[in-house]
Amino acid sequence: MSILAASVQWQSRAVLARHIRVHLRSWHTVTLPPVCEPLIMLLTFGLGLGSQMGALLWQDRSLNYLHYLAPGILAYTAFMSSFFQSLFAAFIRMHFQKSWEGQLTTQVRLEHVVWGEALWAATLATSYAVIVCLVLAAFGLAGQLTLHWAWLPATIPLLFLTALAFSAVGLFFTAILPSIDHMSLPFFLVILPVGFASSTYFPLPDVPVLREVSMLNPLHHLAEGLRWLLLTGRPTWHLGASAGLCLLLLVALIPLDMRLLRRRVFGDR
Amino acid sequence: MPPVLLEATNLEKALGGRPVVQGIDLTCAAGEVLGLLGPNGAGKTTTLRMCYGYLRADKGSVRIDGHDLAREPDEARRRLGVCTQDDTFDADFTVRGNLLQTGRYFRPRQPDLESRIEAVLDRFGLREFANQKPDTLSGGYKRRLMIARSVIHQPKVVFLDEPTTGLDPQARVAVWELISALRAEGLAIVLTTHYMDEAARLSDRLQVIQAGRVRASGVAAAVLGDVVGEHVALIPAAAPGAEAALAWFRSLPPSHRPVRPAQVLAHWHIPLDARGLAAFVARFPDLVYEVRPPTLDDLFLALSTEPGEPPPPARPGTERRA
Repeated sequence: MSILAASVQWQSRAVLARHIRVHLRSWHTVTLPPVCEPLIMLLTFGLGLGSQMGALLWQDRSLNYLHYLAPGILAYTAFMSSFFQSLFAAFIRMHFQKSWEGQLTTQVRLEHVVWGEALWAATLATSYAVIVCLVLAAFGLAGQLTLHWAWLPATIPLLFLTALAFSAVGLFFTAILPSIDHMSLPFFLVILPVGFASSTYFPLPDVPVLREVSMLNPLHHLAEGLRWLLLTGRPTWHLGASAGLCLLLLVALIPLDMRLLRRRVFGDR
Repeated sequence: MPPVLLEATNLEKALGGRPVVQGIDLTCAAGEVLGLLGPNGAGKTTTLRMCYGYLRADKGSVRIDGHDLAREPDEARRRLGVCTQDDTFDADFTVRGNLLQTGRYFRPRQPDLESRIEAVLDRFGLREFANQKPDTLSGGYKRRLMIARSVIHQPKVVFLDEPTTGLDPQARVAVWELISALRAEGLAIVLTTHYMDEAARLSDRLQVIQAGRVRASGVAAAVLGDVVGEHVALIPAAAPGAEAALAWFRSLPPSHRPVRPAQVLAHWHIPLDARGLAAFVARFPDLVYEVRPPTLDDLFLALSTEPGEPPPPARPGTERRA
């Protein structure tokens, strides 16, 4: 059976449903961070720091920092939430809670557990991104932010795809990290470099190497694509580039994750 | 003749490049308990994990109620239940939630799953803890929950991997009663255990595994006879003549000494067949010793001290090994 085909099998959905059920039981507490984080970021950096910075030049347009930041936060939320969930939470479920082992003694197989984790990380990250959209809308209602609001719902599928791709990156580290003490490594190796080279929070300096590297960064394309879409109402090639790179990541990493996790979970070849 | 529900043939498995299971056959019929015995690292858990599909066998096949585990995994897995050695219930759910969630991992879905859960809660004595998280339960009740999870979907074959390890005697007896009741219902049960009294009480047949191979199989008495012999002489280690008796035993041809003697605290346990015992009595008329029939403890000791016993293999699991 193809590993990719397992994503749509009922066992993967059963694992996803399990995670959703657990999450929804404490929705009132777990919803606070995704609401507060963009709120604080937009207030402190967007309005606070932005008022000190003055206008920002982006694609020959003059913007205040809040307008530059808003699409970036949306992209960063999809990336970061998904990566964190598939790395940290999945590691805890696999290693400490042993809930993977419990699932694997049923009709659920490892490919379903892996897809269940990836789909859950992507679903959660997308739901956080939707919350960010609502926070952005609140800023709009307060007269602080003007976006092409009609495009906002159209960004959701792309945010989901990005989140799914980065969940595969998170699962890669779940498979290879020897212990929870090494969790800081992927943050230094992935989160910080990908985040910094992405034009989510600030425009990239016009340095040749950095420009070329950022071309391979799906988060950069997502942030820029969302910025074009939400600030100008024009879909650009960045959105396609982001989707393409995310699909490439998924096709390359999910089979690799499976292989590494098989070795890790079963001690098997 | 009850139908054979588990049929494992010529199972082989290497882990980390080292053979752990080397050509094991297992069968278990409806209403039968098969006890798997062996020292640590013998390959019991690896064998069991191949039988319930957690590990892929390098060679050999497993059929559950006629369905090949490799070719028809969904059909085969629907018919088996597993109680793992570690507590692998879902700590995010209550006791009732665990049963419900486990039921959701099987298709076709157990008809009337809700009422089945209520019945299982009563039957396993878990009713008063139904709304508690499993972490708050005592060790005995955690094991009850693990066994309850393994049968919530009404399987035909149940694998119990050391189901009473770490329990106090009262809790062990309670688990034994549950296992006996499951057997009475016609389930085929495969059990691994370190407790010899447990194996003797619960198992209809024993299969002794050593270094990844079946060393002996059959009813307890036959297994003991095959591996240990018919008698065990207990000689105080400090007794004058004990060393001479050991030297004499070691000089016997291999056909007369089934396994090596083992020292347990202040006594040497020397396994002997009938001819060996007669020769021993004649040779050491002044030696003070006790002779008794072998027990499963002797079997375990014998297997653990046999020459060529390899070191325990790294157990597959969620731990990453260096």
